[in-house]
Amino acid sequence: MQPSDQPVVQANKLVKSYPRGSEIVHAVVDIDVEIQQGEYVAIVGASGSGKTTLLQLLGGMDRPTSGTISIAGKEISKLSDRELTRLRREQLGFVFQHFGLLSTLTVAENVALPAILNHKPNHSRVDELLERTGIIHRRNHRPSELSGGEMQRVAIARALINEPKLLLADEPTGNLDSATSERILELIGELNKDGLTIVVVTHNEKLAQCAHRIIQLSDGRIVNTA
Amino acid sequence: MIKIILKNLWRRPIRTGLTLVGLSLSAALMTCLLSFGQAYESAIRTDLDRMGMQMMLVPLGCPYDGAARALKGRTLDSSLPESALIIAQKDPAVSLAAPVYTAAIPRKGEKRTDMWVGLDDATIKMHSWWKFTPGSHGFDGPNSVILGSEAAATELRKPGDRLYSPETNRDFMVAGVLERSGTSDDSLFFIPLKTAQQMFGEPGRLTAISIRLKDPSPPEIAATAARLQKIPGAQVTTLTEMLGVFLNLIASAKTLVMAITVVALVVSLFSVFNTIMANVIERTRELAVMRAIGMSKLGLFNAMLMESVVVSVSGALCGILLAATGGGWMERAVHPYLPLAPSEGLQSVTLNAALSATTMIMLAGICAGLYPAWVASRLHPSAALRLDI
Repeated sequence: MQPSDQPVVQANKLVKSYPRGSEIVHAVVDIDVEIQQGEYVAIVGASGSGKTTLLQLLGGMDRPTSGTISIAGKEISKLSDRELTRLRREQLGFVFQHFGLLSTLTVAENVALPAILNHKPNHSRVDELLERTGIIHRRNHRPSELSGGEMQRVAIARALINEPKLLLADEPTGNLDSATSERILELIGELNKDGLTIVVVTHNEKLAQCAHRIIQLSDGRIVNTA
Repeated sequence: MIKIILKNLWRRPIRTGLTLVGLSLSAALMTCLLSFGQAYESAIRTDLDRMGMQMMLVPLGCPYDGAARALKGRTLDSSLPESALIIAQKDPAVSLAAPVYTAAIPRKGEKRTDMWVGLDDATIKMHSWWKFTPGSHGFDGPNSVILGSEAAATELRKPGDRLYSPETNRDFMVAGVLERSGTSDDSLFFIPLKTAQQMFGEPGRLTAISIRLKDPSPPEIAATAARLQKIPGAQVTTLTEMLGVFLNLIASAKTLVMAITVVALVVSLFSVFNTIMANVIERTRELAVMRAIGMSKLGLFNAMLMESVVVSVSGALCGILLAATGGGWMERAVHPYLPLAPSEGLQSVTLNAALSATTMIMLAGICAGLYPAWVASRLHPSAALRLDI
């Protein structure tokens, strides 16, 4: 993938508030972010600092209370739910801390699922991604038969099946031991070297240090960008 | 997608299995009931047609009595004079007039009541479905008796044996035993008409006259019925009236069973609702992940609704299979308790009944799945990132 001038994600004055009982919680306040194609960005911060909320907004899973956000050139506040779903399906890949694999499906079926939802099933790409993530030998196993590291590799393969422009990962090493985390970290690094834009929410310092840019959040605001 | 749906359903095999059992029983009940309605009418019509008569002359009373007499050999306190038979035989439209004298003998010791039927040759001619066991023959004297298969089994008699009736103090010779026909004939004692009239102290009296016409066309039936209706103390019951009486009788039973079926169906629906709702609650995170990775609201709604449809249709198909295989057993169980049960089998699953039951259960399944599917479709994709669900 060649870098282009247009940012993959551009957020201006992002605010996300929601009611909690009688008070209004400001999870994200006045955030301006621009992520260029091929960039590797880590979002760090203490628990409750707004990292996950920001990831939800950047991933089109939620809409901001105010401000604008463009993903792959599309302003999401103007998109219908169907269009936003399509955007997530076609342009974005997600990796979850809890892996988010469907327990009744095999590894290959889990990886193929977004392609099936996109009406473009591609078995050879499934195998190609399983090969790349080093999990091909587990192709017909169920998630319950895999280790944490293996499950996260499957989740990464699934996130890549529709050739997304942006990979969003929420604490991808959060449930893994340090040795396994290292291998996942390497894999994410390799994907970025191949040109994939990556945004990672993490507590893992090593993972954050691998990023081109670290955005530090506190109380919903960006307090530092390095 | 169907593969995912099936796998999800079998994730909890006991829960899904129990739902299927409930639905199957409802579907089986519904299929049996719908088939039964059609089969009962057809079987009653066949029984009446087989007698080859178009009407009956009975003592004045309700049509039910006439109808019951036609098929079950029931008795009444009142009777007809033999002169009615002569008038009927002389009617130019009548091909055959067959007299019957029926009376009951209570057997207090055995706690049962035996039905004795007096017949003449004309009446025997109308019983074209009679089949005798080997060694049997027709009446060969005033004291001969023909036994229905069950009556012979109860009395432990075979052709050529003696049969003593202590209540009437009469000795009979068993002239014949009928093969089982599944009709009320199986439990009856048939004797010559004159013998029956003497035995029960009503010489020259009849309880019914079956009438066969030369031309069984509706206008001829109506015209003859109008003429015979004028016989004093007699009333005419046509075949159509008898059929109507039987169907009315069975309609109330059908309504009751239908009510039970509806209750069973409603219970099953709650079971489907519970199963699908539990699936939604249990898989909240998975469903949210599916929304996050690109499944639309409508797609998720359809997928959950499809789970409901798959469970419902599977239950319906199992129920139809159950009705087809177990229906016969059920019929044998309830046949003795049916009012005026016809001789023909009542339980053959018809395509109509199977399709109707499947459609009803599928529609009900869709209704049961609507709310859980709606709840699933409302799941926010951001829930996929939450760790507390």
